[in-house]
Amino acid sequence: MIKKSRITLQDIVPFAAFFVIFFFFAIVSKGRMLSAYNLSILLDQSIMTIVVGCGALFVVAQGSIDLSVGVNLALTSVIATWAANAWGGWLLIPVALLVGTLVGIFSGTVVSKFKVPSFMLTIAMLIGIRGIVNFIQSFIHTQAIPASMSILSEPYIKYPAFVLIVIVLGYVFEYTKIGRYCKAIGENETTARFVGVPVTFMKIVAFAVCGLTVGFGALFSLSSIGGTSQQIGLFFEMRVAMAVFLGGVLVTGGTSAKLYKVLLGSFSITIIVNGLALIGLSQTQYSQSIQGILLLLILGVTILASKKSKKYAAHPEDDEIDAHSEDQAAKA
Amino acid sequence: MNTDKMLEIIGLNKYFGPTHANKNLSFSVKKGEIKGLIGENGSGKSTLISQIAGLYSSDSGQMLLDGKPYSPGSPIDANNRGISIVMQELGVIGSLPAGVNVFLGRTKQFTKNGVVSLKALNKAAAEQFEKWDLPKVPLSKLTDGMMIETRKIIELARALSVDPRLLLLDEITQSLSMNNRNKLYELINKLKAMGRSVIVITHDVEELIRITDTITVLRDGEVVGDVVSAETTPDEIKHMMVGREISGDYYRADTTPEYADKVVLSVRDLTVPGEIENVSFDVHESEILGFCGLSDSGIHSVGKAVYGLIKPSGGSIHLKSKDLMIKSASKALRNNMAYVPKDRDNEALMIRASIHDNFVLPSLTELQGKVGYLSPAKLKKMAQDMTDKLSVKCTDIYQTIDALSGGNKQKVNLGRWLAKDIKLLILDCPTRGVDVGVKAYIYFLMKEAKNNGVATILISDELTEVLGMSDRLIVMKDGAVADVIRRDEDFTEQSVIRVMI
Repeated sequence: MIKKSRITLQDIVPFAAFFVIFFFFAIVSKGRMLSAYNLSILLDQSIMTIVVGCGALFVVAQGSIDLSVGVNLALTSVIATWAANAWGGWLLIPVALLVGTLVGIFSGTVVSKFKVPSFMLTIAMLIGIRGIVNFIQSFIHTQAIPASMSILSEPYIKYPAFVLIVIVLGYVFEYTKIGRYCKAIGENETTARFVGVPVTFMKIVAFAVCGLTVGFGALFSLSSIGGTSQQIGLFFEMRVAMAVFLGGVLVTGGTSAKLYKVLLGSFSITIIVNGLALIGLSQTQYSQSIQGILLLLILGVTILASKKSKKYAAHPEDDEIDAHSEDQAAKA
Repeated sequence: MNTDKMLEIIGLNKYFGPTHANKNLSFSVKKGEIKGLIGENGSGKSTLISQIAGLYSSDSGQMLLDGKPYSPGSPIDANNRGISIVMQELGVIGSLPAGVNVFLGRTKQFTKNGVVSLKALNKAAAEQFEKWDLPKVPLSKLTDGMMIETRKIIELARALSVDPRLLLLDEITQSLSMNNRNKLYELINKLKAMGRSVIVITHDVEELIRITDTITVLRDGEVVGDVVSAETTPDEIKHMMVGREISGDYYRADTTPEYADKVVLSVRDLTVPGEIENVSFDVHESEILGFCGLSDSGIHSVGKAVYGLIKPSGGSIHLKSKDLMIKSASKALRNNMAYVPKDRDNEALMIRASIHDNFVLPSLTELQGKVGYLSPAKLKKMAQDMTDKLSVKCTDIYQTIDALSGGNKQKVNLGRWLAKDIKLLILDCPTRGVDVGVKAYIYFLMKEAKNNGVATILISDELTEVLGMSDRLIVMKDGAVADVIRRDEDFTEQSVIRVMI
């Protein structure tokens, strides 16, 4: 196979990182991590990250980022809970999906039509929407979802739904025009536009898909916790972003964006969090610092590896020219 | 002419991994000599001058400058010895203004207490443009978004600002329009008169013979011939380049326009503020409609506007074959139109992506199966078939585009559209930076498309090219149509230039 010979260091690192993390925590937790009970917890803890990570992949592939998924999750949960309590439990599902998607469409429209960098816009939303959530929560007293809807957390609904969502998103991303257009935009927006890719529309689509997965994420979270809280969605955007980048997707997106990387990255980050708890570090003041250092370490290795493999893949001449112009830029 | 050798190169070798780019190459330039360097894509020309300019080191061999050993460690090193280069691929930094680009890496002279005085820098840059009589460029504007031609001129100013004794020009005329080419020729003559030397690389054999004193022909990294320009012919040079006879006329042989009556695209009063004004034309089935003009004539904007890439302020683009108006590029793509931009690396190809990904991108709609399914096997077959058909030189279809030579990149750029059932093809300088072999092949593809009924809009800075290929030629001046000449009328360079200027 020709394709096999093209596996680069950049492709290997996320796998290596995953296995190192896996075996490290399996050993230091003295095997407790591998108990059936803990493995099911691991899976449950990864579900939300994976689902929203798959949606965020469409955005990241285009070279953009959505940092508002955490607050979007909070807003979606709060509104859906309110609607379900006011008019009927079944409303939880459509309202969650609708609100999540609408927030995504809003971001996509502002980013594409007004050329606001997605990073800036979604940071603004991160702050702004949190305010709205707090405001809504200040006069809505029911934080719990109707009891009838907790059926969603039953294994025979939760797991098939999860698998189905990932398969559909994976199909759309890897095997349809939509996914390929997203990657083309990330590779080079100008060339995509010059070929005739509807760039504006595709950006809105990507953010909408991301928002839709937030809607699903909200349903998973609401049904498993049983309702909303003040803390809902806090730092969730970081977790999703880390999962995507830990998996080896480059910040610039393009053809480096692959669905399996999101799965890999999501499991890696969940194992880190879970593993630290298992070895009794989650209650200490060190746990967050340790998480931070681990992430930094893995990302550092990934980036170094990607630089290395780029050197091999690229034309030798280009490299020297690049080095030269960087050199000049540095001097200037 | 002074006979002492200014630069002498003896037995130079350079390897890129397994590729032996320069094989035992020997070469010399005299003081005040204009030296031409020619060869097919990948024959080692750019490598050679990059070594002279200090961009690459040499693996073995010796370079002598004024009889003294010369082995530059960096371009700055080369600059200090009086050698500067204008590279083939674009080398300005987009996020910096034009003026800073001129003195890139040498801003120290304008620095006071750690702060660069842009005023002093721009003044010095303006002096350089004045001194060498270069076309005016807005110096405080960012180079991002400037035309290729303008960026090339900035690079030229940068090279000239070191006051070089030896100037290296790697395929720069192809990025320039007619009027600025003449300025460049004047500049080269001026340098010669000052006793400076120039090494020129170009794929235009006629031009090379016209402007140089001597020509060195390279093939596969070796020198295959040294000739005096005044005593050679284009055919002799081409023969040396490819090592076999190639037919002299790769353009069309006929002298009558030949196309169907059916109009494919009808453009009326197309206006883009500051670019083009009230441009109207029809292009017919099987017609090649040429566009030529000087640098501010707006010919390139016509192509972009017709493909829906820039919004016109007025006028209409009516695709008659489908009876609809083209308002966006995605609509153009969906309706069997194709556009090959001039700036291959920045506007056309995803250079960090694979040949495969680049080939399939415009055809995704056609390749879709049920529920939008893109079968990996089908995509691979399409990319593989086209790569074979166009004989793109590569290790496999998963190689990234930036590892290909200019000619092979262009094969991908043009070829991916020909894999589709297109009705209208817009070509903007399709042979920029490709060698005669690929050039001939591109013309062959154009003729083939013409025979299949495709209407072609050919926009080009090469006068010989539009004259050689077009059925009708639209000459533009200052954004407006100045004249339309048919192939059977006064179809000569002189008559076109008269209208252009």
